[in-house]
Amino acid sequence: MTTQDKKFEEQEVALSRRDFLGLLGKGAVCAGALVGAGSAVALSETQGSKHAFQQNDEQYAEAVNDPPKIPDYNWNDHQWAMGVDTTRCIGCLRCMEACKMENSVQMDANHYRTWVERYVYLEGSNTAIVDTQTDPKNIENTGSETKFRFDNRYRNAKVDKAFFVAKLCNQCEHPSCVQVCPTGATFKSKDGPVLIDTTYCIGCQYCVQACPYGARSFNQSRGTAEKCNWCYHRITKGLNPVCVEVCPTGSRIFGDRNDPESPISLFIRNNHVQVLKPEMGNAPNVFYIGLDKEVV
Amino acid sequence: MEHVFDHVTPYIGYVYPNETDFPWSQLIVIYPYITGLVAGAFVISSLHHVFNIKSFAPISRFALLTALCFMFFAPSPLLFHLGQPTRAFNAVITPHWTSAMAAFGYVAGFYLCLLLLEVWFAFRADIVAMSKVRSGIMGKVYGLLTLGSDDVSARALAIDHKIARILSMIGIPAACGLHGYVGFVFGSLKTREWWSSDLMPVIFLLSAVGSGVGLIIVLYVIVSKFRKTPILDDTMRGLLYVMFTGVAIVMVIEGLEMLEMVYKAREGIDTVRALIAGPIWAGMYIQWGMSTFALLVTSALLVFNTHGKRLVTWLFLSGLAMMIGVLAMRWNVVIGGQELSKTMKGLLTFYPEMFGRESLFTVLIISICPYVTLWLVTKLLPPWDEKIKLLPPWDEKIEPEHKVFDVHKLA
Amino acid sequence: MPKHIVRLLGLVTVIAIVAFSAKYFLIPDSFYQYGHYRGNAVAEIASKVPKLQGSASCESCHKAVYAEWTAGIHRKATRNNAIQGVVYKSGPGCEVCHTGPAGNHPSKEAMPLSIEDRVTTITHSEHKVHPANVPARKLLLSPEDMRSVCLNCHEKLEARPIFQRQIEVASHSGEEFCTKCHNPHSPRIIYASLPQVRRGDPQAGKAVAAVCSGCHGVAGMSTSPTFPNLAGQHADFLVDALKAFKSGVRKNDMMSPMAAGLNEADIRNVAAYFSRFSCGVTGGDKAKALLGKVKAANCAACHSAGGLYGSGAPGVSGIPTWPNLAGQNAEYLSNTLKSFQDGSRNHPVMTSIAKNLSDADIDNLSAYYASMKCK
Repeated sequence: MTTQDKKFEEQEVALSRRDFLGLLGKGAVCAGALVGAGSAVALSETQGSKHAFQQNDEQYAEAVNDPPKIPDYNWNDHQWAMGVDTTRCIGCLRCMEACKMENSVQMDANHYRTWVERYVYLEGSNTAIVDTQTDPKNIENTGSETKFRFDNRYRNAKVDKAFFVAKLCNQCEHPSCVQVCPTGATFKSKDGPVLIDTTYCIGCQYCVQACPYGARSFNQSRGTAEKCNWCYHRITKGLNPVCVEVCPTGSRIFGDRNDPESPISLFIRNNHVQVLKPEMGNAPNVFYIGLDKEVV
Repeated sequence: MEHVFDHVTPYIGYVYPNETDFPWSQLIVIYPYITGLVAGAFVISSLHHVFNIKSFAPISRFALLTALCFMFFAPSPLLFHLGQPTRAFNAVITPHWTSAMAAFGYVAGFYLCLLLLEVWFAFRADIVAMSKVRSGIMGKVYGLLTLGSDDVSARALAIDHKIARILSMIGIPAACGLHGYVGFVFGSLKTREWWSSDLMPVIFLLSAVGSGVGLIIVLYVIVSKFRKTPILDDTMRGLLYVMFTGVAIVMVIEGLEMLEMVYKAREGIDTVRALIAGPIWAGMYIQWGMSTFALLVTSALLVFNTHGKRLVTWLFLSGLAMMIGVLAMRWNVVIGGQELSKTMKGLLTFYPEMFGRESLFTVLIISICPYVTLWLVTKLLPPWDEKIKLLPPWDEKIEPEHKVFDVHKLA
Repeated sequence: MPKHIVRLLGLVTVIAIVAFSAKYFLIPDSFYQYGHYRGNAVAEIASKVPKLQGSASCESCHKAVYAEWTAGIHRKATRNNAIQGVVYKSGPGCEVCHTGPAGNHPSKEAMPLSIEDRVTTITHSEHKVHPANVPARKLLLSPEDMRSVCLNCHEKLEARPIFQRQIEVASHSGEEFCTKCHNPHSPRIIYASLPQVRRGDPQAGKAVAAVCSGCHGVAGMSTSPTFPNLAGQHADFLVDALKAFKSGVRKNDMMSPMAAGLNEADIRNVAAYFSRFSCGVTGGDKAKALLGKVKAANCAACHSAGGLYGSGAPGVSGIPTWPNLAGQNAEYLSNTLKSFQDGSRNHPVMTSIAKNLSDADIDNLSAYYASMKCK
């Protein structure tokens, strides 16, 4: 190894300590430009760090060297992400039903891990009317909170534009819910999903307040917070999250961003994707196409 | 079909489905209210202990006990609200410091210890005296409280006073911290437009002082009537000054905050306007009506240099108005913030439950408890004694014989 | 230092030591391992058993149905959206409609997965075993249930993208069940596979037809526009119609007594006789026909050779038990629709469809079908 190589390596190690590793292609930047370029890149790229949210170097090393004991699964190999193609969503709400069953979510119209919103612009209106299954008219239509279905209220209306948008936890890079959890009962796992340790949650609901996307709810029967974790028990077994599994039109796309040929990598690469409420600074990991100005 | 909707918070416009289950209920309204009373009462007692303002001397020990009794119950609304109250200490065992809430156990614990210590030092001479004359269980209790030391020498008392003063000095920033911190819990959430304001801690703190002074005025007048003791004019004037300052500043800052929000007119300002005109209109009227009433009355009392019975009556009324106004303000902030949906496209209307774990009944019980406790504690440690003029200003030469408790008077 | 201060400091120290050691000992194992949380929680969360098992898990027991599904359109429903560079998985699987069968199926004991869950599982008429929490419901047999299953995806909704096949219930099937025409596992109607009824003998029918010719014409072209042309009509439909007159389901002053005198064989033979003639175009108002063409999209699902999506002669129905409309007398057609409207004639599908038509619609449609070629 030449002296220059060694010097370069040392610098790289030093950089990795400051979370810059992974931003820089090896050998792509000459040693002199490293520092200046590094800070500029660090500013422009917030997802470059391999560390999970609020993880120090020691914990990161532990996460790499001694990952959680999950059979046939190593969280270092994956970086999960989801895509939602709103142009393909038919609003059948099968995802909501399947999610509630798979995850034993409370069976009422006020607690969801995922839900679908219907945006309707009536003719001549510049704002959308939004509703979800929670809307009393939709529940009256089916007569039950456990039958997931939109009513046909716009049958005779003059509709200018209308579409569905599926919502779920965005598993943010900088999750507000994790930031405000007083105990450490919720956390960002290394492979992406934000998980809840329901044996440790005290049920203060601060996270419910802090989530900009309304993705969290409070499970009264358990006395703890409730949220989508991309079916962590499924994705660690090689299955898709259940909402992706049952979507009849493939409007939900799920996969591993570490694999450049996974559906989600293709989806992100080949489309102009957006995220919800980017101004919140949460850096969501659910990517949308076909969003609209009215989508909140 | 009716039963389907009975647990739902009704809404208009569009709100996220999960928002229809209201996360923070009326219990979280009285939590900042109670800590606010603590902070306010403590400030009053410190005005004498630290700044040596003599007009507050007669009520400074009473204000201290009030702060302590309310502090006992400050965490209870939170405990009733938790989904898993038995795990409450998880936040203390593994506090997650990025969370504004994680510090609560430490801040509240620290403050409670501070209050306990200060009370102990302020009442130690009395405790020693009581332990000597009382027998039976109460004698044992007082004996225990002395920690087995009956040293009331001039030197010991001087040390006590010095420590009490230092504690009091620490207590002022701590009280401000405790309450400013509660404001931070709300103000630091970027999610909620109604809360997300840099002024929130300041507003919480100043309104806390206002309501705390109000509480002390109300209690002082009521207790004096019951004990048939004169209400000291100097003390009332002093309370009037503090009250006026508190009310005036808090109204200005609250007005500024509202003005900023409306003037910036970010996305969803129409919904904010609708919130003020809609779900919390009554709260807004009470908050601003009561504050304005208190401001006008205290201004008039100052302008006309009122004294005597008229001062007592009107200051009592404005104190009461301030307590009610600040309670309404807490409601407007805590409930109003959640009634304004995160979507900024909808409004919820919260209807409190009457009975149950999280209900108005619980709120009532928790609100009454501090007063009952205060009554019991004043039995244990009587803070009044005009004859001896307890706790003279610290700088004065202390005459130990004056500090001895007059047991004959009690008997 | 005074004694009480010493005592106090001692007390504070003891409390502090107890508190801090308690804090130290109460921190759970593996906390702080990977971050500010219990490291073991990750594996605990991951160890939960999945409930929905995927379509492949159904195959082992439900081979026939599975084969039906794999061959059908529900398997291939989703287009490969190459533009977006993503290969979408195809079609609604078993658990899209039968939500949670693996988790709640067929009895609690068989699959001990999610007993605590309230799951609404749907079952079709032939399924005799129901999940414990679905009280012996035969789903897809009542319009209510149909609404909850097929229409979840296929009801015409604003906001539903156009690629999705959608129906207006009233004009598509009315009160009729989806399963009358569609196999839910493979819902595209394949006309060729539908069962054929026994053919009659046209020669024998000729004798019987003698009495009919007074009104319906010798070659099935009627003598008055209020009477229907029979030429080229589906034999199966004619059989059904005559049987309906005979049994009294349909009533007509002329036809009821006529049909009453015919036996089974006569009915088959006379139907075969008339169906063999080639029909003609009776013609209708051109302007009205043009308007009717738009409205006829609602009829195409049944009264067009290609069904809803295939191409085929309009007015020639794909299924022999449904009548051809092409070349029929406009006046007869409009009378028929009106009789469905006023209830003098009843049919589960046609009644509700007719009730959604205005008088102008009826005129236009009649003109349209009257001007269509019938072969």
